[in-house]
Amino acid sequence: MAEARKRRPRVCDYYQNEDQFARGVALCAGCALELNLRFVSRVLGKDVILVGTPSCSAPVLHGQNTKAWHRHPYYACVMTGVASSATGLTRYYEKAGIEATVVCHTGDGCAMDVGFQTLSGAAERNEKMIYITYDNEGYMNTGIQQSSGTPYGAATTTTPLGQASRGKSTAAKNMPMIVAMHDVPYVATATLSHLEDYAKKLVKAKAAAKEGFAYIHVFCPCVPGWRIPSDASIQVCRVAVRTNYFPLWEKEQGVWRITYKVRDPQPLSELTRLVGKLRHLDEDEVARLQAQVDYRYRVLEALCAAFG
Amino acid sequence: MAKATPNVLAVTGNEAVAEAMRQIDPDVVCAYPITPQTEIVQLYAQLVADGKVSTEFVTAESEHSAMSAAIGAAAAGARTMTATSSQGFALMWELLYIASSYRLPIVMTVVNRALSGPINIHCDHSDSIGGRDSGWIQIYGENHQQAYDNCLQAVRIAEHPDVRLPVMHMYDGYVISGAIGPLTPLEDSRVREFIGPYQPVNPLLDVQHPVTVGPFDGLHGWYFEHKVAQNLAMERAYQVLQDVADEFARLTGRQYGLIDPYRLEDAEIAIVVVGSTAGTTRLVVDQLRAKGVKAGMVRVRVFRPFPYHTFAQALQHVKVVGVLDRADSFGAQGGPVFLEIRAALYDNDPRPQVLPFIYGLGGRDIFPHDIEQAFGVLDEAAKRVRRVSTQRRYLNLRQGRGLEHERK
Repeated sequence: MAEARKRRPRVCDYYQNEDQFARGVALCAGCALELNLRFVSRVLGKDVILVGTPSCSAPVLHGQNTKAWHRHPYYACVMTGVASSATGLTRYYEKAGIEATVVCHTGDGCAMDVGFQTLSGAAERNEKMIYITYDNEGYMNTGIQQSSGTPYGAATTTTPLGQASRGKSTAAKNMPMIVAMHDVPYVATATLSHLEDYAKKLVKAKAAAKEGFAYIHVFCPCVPGWRIPSDASIQVCRVAVRTNYFPLWEKEQGVWRITYKVRDPQPLSELTRLVGKLRHLDEDEVARLQAQVDYRYRVLEALCAAFG
Repeated sequence: MAKATPNVLAVTGNEAVAEAMRQIDPDVVCAYPITPQTEIVQLYAQLVADGKVSTEFVTAESEHSAMSAAIGAAAAGARTMTATSSQGFALMWELLYIASSYRLPIVMTVVNRALSGPINIHCDHSDSIGGRDSGWIQIYGENHQQAYDNCLQAVRIAEHPDVRLPVMHMYDGYVISGAIGPLTPLEDSRVREFIGPYQPVNPLLDVQHPVTVGPFDGLHGWYFEHKVAQNLAMERAYQVLQDVADEFARLTGRQYGLIDPYRLEDAEIAIVVVGSTAGTTRLVVDQLRAKGVKAGMVRVRVFRPFPYHTFAQALQHVKVVGVLDRADSFGAQGGPVFLEIRAALYDNDPRPQVLPFIYGLGGRDIFPHDIEQAFGVLDEAAKRVRRVSTQRRYLNLRQGRGLEHERK
């Protein structure tokens, strides 16, 4: 028994409650989003109102017909109205004196494309909520189309490979950085290979959401969309961190900090060879993506140095 | 027909439209993914990636932006196309009015899907019916072939100098968009010949002759006259719709009209219906005819401009007309098509009874026995001396969940 307790990962100390989700849910095998949902729910606790949209998360968060898959209060919103609808919820909770945390939980397509306006608006108004973007770098639910979260070179169904195309021709938006520039109380990046780091950030976000807007951008690989084996999603998360493709950082009350410093970053080819949608990239294309990753990392380092 | 058999393809409705778009090869396509339209965009993206079309392809960040980009491209003088469904259509809504009032001949495929909430991805006509008053020409297809044929004809109608209005053509989500059906495509060269080159009017691209698109209509401006001009274009569209259909018939042998009647000549009772349900209705008409019931059907092909004269004539001799709506207008006397048909028949003498039926919301299946039930109501009404209630009748509605409470 003592043996078992010793092996319990430290991240479990952050769990507030039992898993609030059904044991079997309608998500793909190996889906990082499922782990994300269960994790967010366990760390943030039961007093969380989720706001979500039509997306991969919808079959589970929305429920099916009259049956639910989880025990959280949930508002099924349209993609164009998430942070603004959440504004309505939080404002009235506050007026009515209800202690609850409103958590918007959307994919990158909603957060970075079609719902970007309401997210930016709520951040500017400093609404008291947490916004979590699970970034699987595209519209996976409608069949793997490109979004503004899709990286340079990635093959999707709307940026396919062909005689006249080498995949997406432009870079992904640096979304967490964009939200950070709204100067809200808390912004962080997180991923599912570094759960303790993620848990700490959720706790901070929950505290920050009492003051204003808190944002967490979660790197969340998609098994069919990225063409990776169903047992590789966490490995892909880890490699994304170790290559600085997805650095883990936070900006807390104006202070920037890299929360997981990679001592010897791996070359980006470690990631591109793992991920099917990037595997076609030739040396020059990988170098171009590498240059972009390096540039963004240097911007981040500079901000941490100046305001750390 | 036997000669045509080798050319018959088995395709989904979306594949049929993507094929039409490939042959049209428009200058610009702007789109955003939404179920069940997405397949069109994906297929088209692959054509672009393979260099099989010369189209400038824009993956916009929302449908609002997709339609805005389409408007920008069309204003610049491009032959422009897009496609959407449901919420995407709803998000385009303010731009729909702008596209039509700027007289931009954009062609849009709308794959019909229910509107939220609750969220439902299946077929009904609530989305495109909501754009009824937006100044777009609306053509509804029944099957795969019509999805393709309407897409080709839409380009000609939209760009016709007498019309210059955007055109949307519709077909049923899943039932047609995702299911496989037969398609006899035209050869590429014949499509190109039929479509012809596009001559834009006052394009922004012509920098030697600068124009403003959408200037402020001041306090004593011409907004009112502008709107009347749009309606006059709609009126001229009747003739253009028929002319283009006739020309298409000469090319393909497939004749379309503003309406699509079936066994109507001597019918005493008839159903008016939109979309793929027409196929099921034809089957029921045949079964009833075999039993000696004088049943008939009209499919609504063109909904805007609404061919009310044609309907009034076609249904002149019919005693009772049942209108099957796959969308509702909450609080109105009946569904949107019912209201149109009832108004169209008001001046008929004798004036037939027109009864509203609602069916298939959110993709609820419709079976031959449901349509038979509707014909039963019409038959009963035809035998009576006094007119029957025009209360909505619902086909294949489930009993029990919540409705008792609402009805208290």
